[in-house]
Amino acid sequence: MKLAVEGLKKNNVEYIETTRTQLKHVVENILSDKECRLSTCLAYDGRGIDGALHVAYIFTCHREGRHIIVDVPVDPATASMDSLYPLTGSPACTWCEAEARDLYGIKFRGNPWKGRLVLPDTWPKNIHPMRKDAPRGKPPVEPEKALKKKPRPGIPLGPYHPALHEPEYFELHVIGEKVVDVWYRGFFVYRGIEKLAEDRFLYHQVPFLAERICGICGFVHSTTYCMAVEAALGIEVPERAKYIRTVLLELERIHSHLLCTAAILHTVGYDTGFMHIMNAREEVMDAAEIITGNRKTYSANTPGGVRVDIDESMARTILEKAEKAVTKGVKLAREYAELDEVKTRLEETGILDRKDAWKWGALGPVARASGIDIDMRRDKPYAAYENVEFEVPVMDEGDSMARYMIRLEEALESLKILKQVLKDLPKTPLRAEGQDYKPFHVGLAASEAPRGECLHYIITGRGKRLWRWKIRSPTYNNLALLPNLLVDRPLADAPVILMSIDPCFSCTDRVILVELDKGRRRSVSLARLTRP
Amino acid sequence: MKPKRMKSVWLYHLNTGGCNACDIEVLAALSPRYDPERFGMKLVESPRHADVIIFTGPVTYQALPRAIEVFRVARPIGVLAVGACACGGGIWHDSAAVLGGLDPLLELLKKMGVKVPEKIVKLPGCPPRPHAILYAAAVLAGVIEPRSAASGQSRYSSPSQIAERLAHRETGEAQEPSQQHR
Repeated sequence: MKLAVEGLKKNNVEYIETTRTQLKHVVENILSDKECRLSTCLAYDGRGIDGALHVAYIFTCHREGRHIIVDVPVDPATASMDSLYPLTGSPACTWCEAEARDLYGIKFRGNPWKGRLVLPDTWPKNIHPMRKDAPRGKPPVEPEKALKKKPRPGIPLGPYHPALHEPEYFELHVIGEKVVDVWYRGFFVYRGIEKLAEDRFLYHQVPFLAERICGICGFVHSTTYCMAVEAALGIEVPERAKYIRTVLLELERIHSHLLCTAAILHTVGYDTGFMHIMNAREEVMDAAEIITGNRKTYSANTPGGVRVDIDESMARTILEKAEKAVTKGVKLAREYAELDEVKTRLEETGILDRKDAWKWGALGPVARASGIDIDMRRDKPYAAYENVEFEVPVMDEGDSMARYMIRLEEALESLKILKQVLKDLPKTPLRAEGQDYKPFHVGLAASEAPRGECLHYIITGRGKRLWRWKIRSPTYNNLALLPNLLVDRPLADAPVILMSIDPCFSCTDRVILVELDKGRRRSVSLARLTRP
Repeated sequence: MKPKRMKSVWLYHLNTGGCNACDIEVLAALSPRYDPERFGMKLVESPRHADVIIFTGPVTYQALPRAIEVFRVARPIGVLAVGACACGGGIWHDSAAVLGGLDPLLELLKKMGVKVPEKIVKLPGCPPRPHAILYAAAVLAGVIEPRSAASGQSRYSSPSQIAERLAHRETGEAQEPSQQHR
């Protein structure tokens, strides 16, 4: 039996099947195009399909809006292959290969990440939870072991820190006031989402779970998942559903960008700004509530369409509220950026130049603030973005101020999109009826989350359940940049730089936990994260 | 509402691996529209200063040791569990990577000899609205008495109240609910 990949071609996705020996040659060929880079990789247990474990590398050619999937079978008896890290040099490559190794037990020769990456420290050895024959049940709880350990030298930032709203741990090594090395140990939010989806949910119930990957950009995840299913099963989404998705996506982008702006102001110590922008943001939450009945976690998506409708009076109110929020929020935020106490903290802080940003895989506003002109909404239009006009703001400075300002510009563009979309919603049904579920079809979808390109890869399975669901959120790639930005900066700038990336840990950590090997922490030096 | 209280309640926000939705709603609840500072409530940055822990997330195994440490250090008088995950694990309850909410954590704390707070308020919702967070925090702080369905003064209507209201609506006596919030 083979996987069916017809759905991918319509979506401008190339599917290449190759062997372990040919892989290097194929990848060299792809990377010879300077517009293409490695997005992520994943493994899946194909022993129930064709008797082998598989590894798939996903490449994105941003400006062409093209994705390339390179699928390699791995013999389950030896379960080892060569790493692509020497070839790509991207930190995201070390992460995704180490993830595949922990979850599926596939060894990658040449990957610098030697210890455990994904699973909690209390996890038993030699059990790879994503394999189809892995034992069920929870591992034993032994928090005492972790509590007994002595603290390490270095200045801790997290896991519970005023500058972070989510548990995540950074250890900063300093000489005087200057940061010289960063040790990142994140992935505190591993909840085993992908495994739950395969085990417990039917394919049309998964958007419920996808929405809860992240509380800030949850609707992006559920939309991208639905798009992946629609691509795999060949479902045509009615126009009206596409427009309503666009409305919700843009409302979410506005609220996320205003939240990030407020959080940056909070981090630089300007709490007045935080309060005022949070107040302006409330209007967007109201707008979402009018459509879906909930301020967050909209639950509006289903494969083939949406579950909510917008009538004319609602459209008017939404637009009024969004306009109020954006004009007020952006006006205030621009004024705050002129203040000395904000300006001096943000300008020329954490500069990321274009070359590094491309090399280390920056996405979304972080990339655009460094002069990389990429946006999935324009490059590979989905939902209703084909039919609307908008600009993609790009800045060249690459500092925290640019990352702050670019989010304001994008919020204004989102308002422009909302105006066009809500002007005339097409009159079609909300959902495609008569869906035909087919097992072992592959689907890939990409969207522009508030933080960058979000990828969902699915393989449908038997009994209306998913065989594999892989999520790659934008912070997964953006976080790998961070040590690069923190080094050689004063310690006091570290939280500001961190917030200017707008990290969303819960997206990133849906399957990952950084290692503890036999209860011993392994230090990952900056050199290992950022240099080949 | 009670006329006065002894002291202000300071809050510490502990995310044990939640999806962020409850966390941003907690942040929103601290914004000027809801303004909890009028009840003396304030988010503090160290667990040592806190009286009450605002607890979100289903307790992942990675966050577990740190959560225990925070409870040890803070010795809170109360816990406010915000969100379905914190109350009972939510949709992650049977995932192999999470402990499953506040109750198993408190059990574990008891076993380890850590002082467990007496006052616990659970606030389900995915995520709960800031209004609800404010209400729960006020209940925890003793600013207002908790209402329960049994006492007949629930915020949410009991079936008999709904039936009564429907009867009134037919005769046109009661006000129509707001169309804005469906």
